[in-house]
Amino acid sequence: MQAALAPFQEAHATALAQPVANFFSPVPPVQEPGRLYDFFRASNDVQIEGDVRYVLKHNKTTCMTQKESGAWVDIIVSYWRAVKEIIKAEEASNQGRLGERQYVAVYDAWKDLTSNFIKHISGGALPAWAIFTLYFTANHLRRIAIKADDQLAKSKPATVNASFSDDIVSTVAQNQKLEEAARVFNRIFALCLGDRNPDLNESRKWGVYCVANLQFKTYFKLKAISLSKNVVRSIEAQSDLPPFKLYPKAHRVTYRYYTGVLAFLQEDYTKAEKNLQEAWDACYASAEKNKSLILTYLIPCRLITQHVVPKAPLLAESPRLERIFGPLVTCIRKGDLTGFDKALAEGEPEFVKRRIFLTLERSRDIALRNLLRKVYLAGGYDDLKEGQTEKDRIRKSRIPLVNFAAALRMGGQAVEDDEVECLLANQIYKVRVPCPVQDSLLTLPQGLMKGYISREHAMVVLNKKGAFPGTGV
Amino acid sequence: MSGAAQGGAPTTKAVSDAPNGQPAAVSAKPAPQLEEDDEFEDFPVEDWGEEETQTHGDKTHLWEESWDDDDTTEEFANQLRDELKKLGK
Repeated sequence: MQAALAPFQEAHATALAQPVANFFSPVPPVQEPGRLYDFFRASNDVQIEGDVRYVLKHNKTTCMTQKESGAWVDIIVSYWRAVKEIIKAEEASNQGRLGERQYVAVYDAWKDLTSNFIKHISGGALPAWAIFTLYFTANHLRRIAIKADDQLAKSKPATVNASFSDDIVSTVAQNQKLEEAARVFNRIFALCLGDRNPDLNESRKWGVYCVANLQFKTYFKLKAISLSKNVVRSIEAQSDLPPFKLYPKAHRVTYRYYTGVLAFLQEDYTKAEKNLQEAWDACYASAEKNKSLILTYLIPCRLITQHVVPKAPLLAESPRLERIFGPLVTCIRKGDLTGFDKALAEGEPEFVKRRIFLTLERSRDIALRNLLRKVYLAGGYDDLKEGQTEKDRIRKSRIPLVNFAAALRMGGQAVEDDEVECLLANQIYKVRVPCPVQDSLLTLPQGLMKGYISREHAMVVLNKKGAFPGTGV
Repeated sequence: MSGAAQGGAPTTKAVSDAPNGQPAAVSAKPAPQLEEDDEFEDFPVEDWGEEETQTHGDKTHLWEESWDDDDTTEEFANQLRDELKKLGK
């Protein structure tokens, strides 16, 4: 046991959360694939507690109080029991006789480990950095819970979850373990948020955002996204958190991503854009998948708020982005409505899955605007009057409705004359962003097109100073 | 004749036989590959410097306006005129 615990003692001596978390891992380190097995073989069910206690008592690497030492004994023993279940499950899996409860047993053991951490942190037995070790342990619990649920779902298609509680709204009984884990994460979140330690350096409040992120991931997976709002509300109501910018970037970027997606789903695109842009700007440059996920929401967002589209290099960030947004963006720029509809229909399964379908559908107005704008440009200029020079030229502002109708039909749209009028009226009426946030709406033009329809003359009379606000004409 | 087409050039047959070929072609199209796991990943490190962020370096030219003002406008004007002429007839 002495040798098996040496890595723990070395890690503990660093007084850093990560090395200690690396010791309490459900997978062995790459350079030492036999680590879990060796640790398990170093003791047995009966002697484990005594063995660990003996080693920690006579340890010379690191100094700890008796209270702390007792806490670590508890934690290491529960880790040993979890490792035992992991090894049993692995052996069963290798022999092709994996039972349905095997991962559930791993989950239960890992949950005990997590609970022990919570117990000793809230009891004040562990140093301040242990909150992050707990975070890593809880993150493993999340993964193990997902695996256990998969295993359960495979063996019996419909499990009735008797221990349903009110805080998890889900119809999917297969997520039993993850729902249970979500309640553990709630406790950890409360443990961080409610820390009253006046010394900010020692505060568990530094764990607030990473645990919140853990909860977001869990709620998104459980398809109980709305529960994330409670987390955000709790954080926003807490006035004494350290300044956001002092938290590590990993916590901040993830938090901004999830709050951005939440605002996006509530159609608050201005807030969504702000959060997602912040996540994008600070994102770790080589985290390709995360970058692609941020852009999956930032692109539709900016289409709605700013009417801008990503340039080729941005789409080239990932083949997935290119595939899902490339055709749409091309059609929007060309004002090709038929192509837009086709691209939207083809991408529908993926857009729906990513929850961006409705937002992208709204960008059809921009494709239409671009087509109408072309009709306006194609109309050319009024003849110059006496005394006017080239720079006084103004575009023809009265455009027959038939011109717009013809353009729509050229693009393959089967539209009646009445419908054309309706589309135009909508363009004139459309407000760019129905945003509740101050200061942004005021500076934005009110409609995609400025002017009025003269039914008498079957004409559209466009504003001479900016017929299509924000587009230079 | 149909026998020859079947034996010799199956692709030609599929094209000429559109009404029959169509449904088969649709069902043969692979469903779009969805990545099952679309979870935001844990970063390999907890914190990083400005020089390691996404926007380090040139970041200004990643977005462009949604409309397209290239030479196609002229071409479009001609097409539109043709179309209107046809309507005027």
